[in-house]
Amino acid sequence: MDIREKLNILSAAAKYDVSCSSSGSKRQAPKGGLGSACSAGICHTWSSDGRCISLLKVLMSNACKYDCAYCINRRSNDIPRATFTPKELINLTLEFYRRNYIEGLFLSSAVMGTPDRTMEMLIQVAKELRTVHKFGGYIHLKAIPGASHELLYQAGLYADRSSVNIEIPTDRALQYLAPEKNHASILAPMNFLAERKLEYHGERSRYSPKFLPAGQSTQMIVGAAGESDLQILTLSNGFYKKQQMKRVYFSGYVPINADKRLPALTTKPPLVREHRLYQADWLMRFYKFGYDEVVDQAHPNLDLDLDPKAAWALRHPEFFPIDIQTADYEMLLRVPGIGVKSAQLIASGRRFSKIRLEHLKKMGVVLKRAQYFIYHPDTPACLRRLYPEMVRPLLLPKPQPLQLDLFSNQPLALPAAG
Amino acid sequence: MNNLTLHTSHLTFHISHPYPMLSISYDSTFDGFLSAVFEIYRQHLDVGEFHGDRSTAPCDLFSQPFRIETSEEAATRLKRAIENYASAEILELLHVAFRSEEDGIEMKILAYLRKVFDGKDPNYAKNPTSDEMLPLFMTARAVRHEAGGMLGMVRFSKTSDGTYFAEIEPKYDILDLIVGHFRGRFANEKWAIYDSKRGYGVYYAGHQLAEITIPNLADVTKATPPDEMVRLWQDYYKSIAIKERENPRLLKRCLPVYYWKHLPERQYSRC
Repeated sequence: MDIREKLNILSAAAKYDVSCSSSGSKRQAPKGGLGSACSAGICHTWSSDGRCISLLKVLMSNACKYDCAYCINRRSNDIPRATFTPKELINLTLEFYRRNYIEGLFLSSAVMGTPDRTMEMLIQVAKELRTVHKFGGYIHLKAIPGASHELLYQAGLYADRSSVNIEIPTDRALQYLAPEKNHASILAPMNFLAERKLEYHGERSRYSPKFLPAGQSTQMIVGAAGESDLQILTLSNGFYKKQQMKRVYFSGYVPINADKRLPALTTKPPLVREHRLYQADWLMRFYKFGYDEVVDQAHPNLDLDLDPKAAWALRHPEFFPIDIQTADYEMLLRVPGIGVKSAQLIASGRRFSKIRLEHLKKMGVVLKRAQYFIYHPDTPACLRRLYPEMVRPLLLPKPQPLQLDLFSNQPLALPAAG
Repeated sequence: MNNLTLHTSHLTFHISHPYPMLSISYDSTFDGFLSAVFEIYRQHLDVGEFHGDRSTAPCDLFSQPFRIETSEEAATRLKRAIENYASAEILELLHVAFRSEEDGIEMKILAYLRKVFDGKDPNYAKNPTSDEMLPLFMTARAVRHEAGGMLGMVRFSKTSDGTYFAEIEPKYDILDLIVGHFRGRFANEKWAIYDSKRGYGVYYAGHQLAEITIPNLADVTKATPPDEMVRLWQDYYKSIAIKERENPRLLKRCLPVYYWKHLPERQYSRC
């Protein structure tokens, strides 16, 4: 099998892994070597589904011994199997890197033989890139559940980031869908790496190599096992707090396998729900929201029509509208339509002059949403109150006009005249 | 009474425009621009228009052309003054906004500097939302945004002598903002990045950056041998996308069509 065929098979097998970020690590090119890492991360291109491509994301091999229901590479699927040799993969990475196609390598693998054997192969590639080729670019390695501590530790020394996917948000559903896996076995390598990273940070000098400088990430499938958004966000909040995760990714379930334990093959991937979950994730990471503010027992699922920030604001009319001249920065962040950058601009600009409506427009504040939640010197006093039931319809997207069929017998639902 | 009003208004017209306004031109560099501002202050010039040589904006027929030569000394003095009255970050921000080559950016920066130097409000320079600063701030943000995106969108192709060559056509003049990144990253390679829209580029061969101009760009691109890696990259790009999630609108928002011309992975899908 030639390299082209292998690349096609093994990148298509890796495409359901969402993570492709190259952020969180800063490294200068090693002396006489190639490549650096930029802490903000760099997107190199976007694929036709609108996802950023920053790394060469491939599997080492897709010949898996497990049989997880949701996975395209499961043992019982009849698909072409391939395995890269380390040399092929290293060559591909370096050649792509020199042409500035990619920021580095994202290497994952199906489990072949034992977890230890698989982990060893991943480490071999990373080690050779770093030591023989003096590669300074980004490396993301998958930690294989069940691999020995010694190997996981080594992976941490060569990789910028490592990840283990939790896959299904509830333990029961995971054991049902993936008989060889459970939450405990997935959390074990996460916790080990998180602890080592903390420990290592305490004892390292400026000359010692970094240990997972970009931390860890994980991913869960949304919409395959009937979990609620509250369960998902509680779990991801735990990952951010306990395991010190840098990112938790959500992947709307794309039906790939016909399996009676899973949604039917004709199900559309829940893209809107996934989008709302990411918005909620952003609120937790950059907007100082608690996960229990975004969703709670009374509203266990996110509103699909409204973004979570607007939904929160409408549930809490007692805080709004706010005076942008005097409100706290934290409150500015909570106004729908005001992002982190505009909130910072407002906070630094209002010390010198009054912020008026035309300033907000020029700053890029989305007034279409923000106007109901703020007041400024030009707002009449009678408008300084928020009526959620009046504002909600104004925030919803306009329904698309429907093309009626002239010859159909459907009765028209026109508004009554008069 | 009516007659008198007419008379005075006629008079004011003459007093405020005793001579035609000047149409100032300079060599399109930032130093050239600063030298021009310096001369405007020194000679108390009455500025009607302010354009670099590269500008394509139409000239006002009634203003008098006035050429200002670049002087390193004047530019340095003005830079120092901006650092003292405002800050080094503001100077950097003005430089970045200047790179946008937007029509009328010179007049906007001049208006800002006039406010900074008139000294009426000592805190003026710290305010990012003042009427003069906010547009410059947003322009600078747009330029930095493009520079950041371009770090990923430069595509090198390997020429027959082993030099990696990339052609770019950014909206703004950002080549200087991105070469530092590539110099650090590809410190031991030979590479060149060429801005074919502005007709200049940068060449690096292990030690120092050198500015280059290529009169006949087609010769270089034609001489590049076919590369197996381009095909592999196009294959990878295709197979990493999830068909069920195709979203052309999102793609175009993240990666504007304007940039596709120099991205091999997007060209493939158009043919």
